[in-house]
Amino acid sequence: MADTVQEFVFNLTFPFSRTLGSTLSTFSSALAQGQIIGVRTGGRVIAPPLEYDPDTAADSGTDWVCVGPKGTVSSWTWVPEPTNLHPLDHAFGFAFITLDGADTPMIHVVDAGSESAMSAGMRVEARFKDPADCVGRIDDIIAFVPASDPSPSEGAGEPFEAPAENEITEMDAFCDLQYVDNASPTTLMWAKALMEGRLIGQKCPQCARTIVGPRGMCSVCAIELDESHIVEVPGRGVVSNFTVVTPTPYPGQTETEPFARCSILLDGADAVIAQQEILEVPVSELRVGIHVEVVWAPENERSAADIDNRSRGSGGDIIVGWRTTGEPDEPADRYLDRMM
Amino acid sequence: MSHQPVAIVGIGQTHHKRKRADVSMAGLVREAAQRALDDANMDWGDIDAVVLGKAPDFFEGVMKPEMYLADALGAVNKPMFRVHTAGSVGGSTGIVGSHLVSSGRHKRVLSIAFEKQSEGNAQFALGGGKGASIGAGGAFAPFIRAYIQRSGAPEDIGWMVAVKDRLNGAKNPYAHLKLADITIDKVKESPMMWDPLRFLESCPSSDGACAVIFTDEDGGKAASKPPAWVLATAMKSEPGWYSGRDAVNPQAAHACAQEIYKTVGITNPREQIDCAELYVPFSWYEPMWLEAHEIAAPGEGWKMTQSGATALDGDFPVNMSGGVLSSNPIGASGLLRFAEAALQVRGLAEDHQVGGAKLAIAQAYGANAQFFAMWAVGSSLNPLG
Repeated sequence: MADTVQEFVFNLTFPFSRTLGSTLSTFSSALAQGQIIGVRTGGRVIAPPLEYDPDTAADSGTDWVCVGPKGTVSSWTWVPEPTNLHPLDHAFGFAFITLDGADTPMIHVVDAGSESAMSAGMRVEARFKDPADCVGRIDDIIAFVPASDPSPSEGAGEPFEAPAENEITEMDAFCDLQYVDNASPTTLMWAKALMEGRLIGQKCPQCARTIVGPRGMCSVCAIELDESHIVEVPGRGVVSNFTVVTPTPYPGQTETEPFARCSILLDGADAVIAQQEILEVPVSELRVGIHVEVVWAPENERSAADIDNRSRGSGGDIIVGWRTTGEPDEPADRYLDRMM
Repeated sequence: MSHQPVAIVGIGQTHHKRKRADVSMAGLVREAAQRALDDANMDWGDIDAVVLGKAPDFFEGVMKPEMYLADALGAVNKPMFRVHTAGSVGGSTGIVGSHLVSSGRHKRVLSIAFEKQSEGNAQFALGGGKGASIGAGGAFAPFIRAYIQRSGAPEDIGWMVAVKDRLNGAKNPYAHLKLADITIDKVKESPMMWDPLRFLESCPSSDGACAVIFTDEDGGKAASKPPAWVLATAMKSEPGWYSGRDAVNPQAAHACAQEIYKTVGITNPREQIDCAELYVPFSWYEPMWLEAHEIAAPGEGWKMTQSGATALDGDFPVNMSGGVLSSNPIGASGLLRFAEAALQVRGLAEDHQVGGAKLAIAQAYGANAQFFAMWAVGSSLNPLG
């Protein structure tokens, strides 16, 4: 079964967005101007500011304080071999840095050249991006670097006057995640059968229910099902229920026109295959009771690449869809209750 | 098993909107929590434990938000629990909070549930990160088609629910949708979204949070405002998909209702319960849940809607708050139902108050109509006398 995948790689990308709220908006808007700030609350300066006192949950207010750009490392760890997800492409340190004027440390990157240059107590200073590239994100500070002059930061601890309206109130949080899933034994059985142009299910020996798209268990009886419980089910049936979806736009949406997904009660099998597409019937003419038969992709065009552990009866690219057989419709009321 | 009585002494919620651009996620939950603390005349330091609920993390793309929100919710050095049961999670979050008090383990517990839908996209998330997501409406539309056929209900029942809940929502200052001028014609002429469900028969997508504070019998009796008493709680689950499953009439819904009625001593729900908040994200779920929770006989739920019994001035008001059809911060939607039931028996529901409500129920469901949560609350520990 060279065509049957053993594992699938899934790429998940999505442009999530965050609204910052007034405290983080003030921080971000100041940062974009090259100014790091904290908030004085509970008798200390927290930087970056939080909208609440982390010890008491009380509102931390708006007593803003200028902090940095220099600070002192209190603890650190070295990253000798950064991956593409790390902020720098060469070895660096992650460090707790207490900025001048602040009483709490923040975590950031120290670009110190070598591990031996790192020490608790070392003085560092922020290296900002070009002002034109600053957007109020924490990586507007590319990294902290060993301070050329260890003397205290000028202006640290002074009050910061926030503008009446903050420029930055939202932030993109782009997700780009790749993960690998291993095909389960039942996924492999399902994919193998589909590649051979067969539909299979597993029949529970206790309740006699047939699950099309084997799942390795009966979810009613909670017993394990294996290869010995595999049964062939017919590629013919009757549409028992359906949904017509008007697609809403979202990043990654592939549909633009209303599309239908149907449940099909398979002939003589007392089993339903769900989420199927009916070919050549406009969604406005779709109805319960239509006789349909499966349409397979030509053998040389079949690929199991889309059959994953969550498919549960999906035919991926191997099942093109289902077409009407032309037989007279069955009465809807005999089928409608078989959503599943 | 012996239980301590549990009183609800604080309820708070945010103003729900399509996008709460003015607050962070922490700010959103704190807004609801602060209102609940104010209502209870308490401060953060008075809370012994925090229970946080929300729907899948994928909705906003913040994994394990309970970690990020622990100190925002005053949970430092206190127990913090995360609950997740899909759409029913808000109800489950309330129930878990009440159990921490009824067990005698904690004296004052904050349950809070939220969703900030505007930070992500629920259709995308429900579709597993792929195109052609059928969404919640697409998943439930076949169940609704089956209900309509089975019950013989006329097609305008769904439209009537959509109008009734929006008119109630217009009386609720916190509701997302306030559609005071909605009409049957507007619903019926709105675009078909998930046949047979039209746009105005569907819930909105909202940012919002809800918070409830529980305390023990002494705390309830000492409260400055009238408390609500938790009379019974139930949570039941069933497999989401198996051959022959009847998703219109889930066993778990019946089991929840039966347990609640038995515990409280309710023998005639329609007569003895004063009002109900049911999880109705799509209009037809009102008659479906009236039947599945044994308030109406099988096939009779739609007649309660049709006769006006479920309207605010009917004999069995449903979704006085405007329901999920008026506000849907998904994770909070269940707790909003539970909180509204409590507001009613406290007599604090203002313009959407059911006069003299002494016994109310609330319900929430989730995933493929497979997780159910329900509670009954009373103006006293024995409202049936």
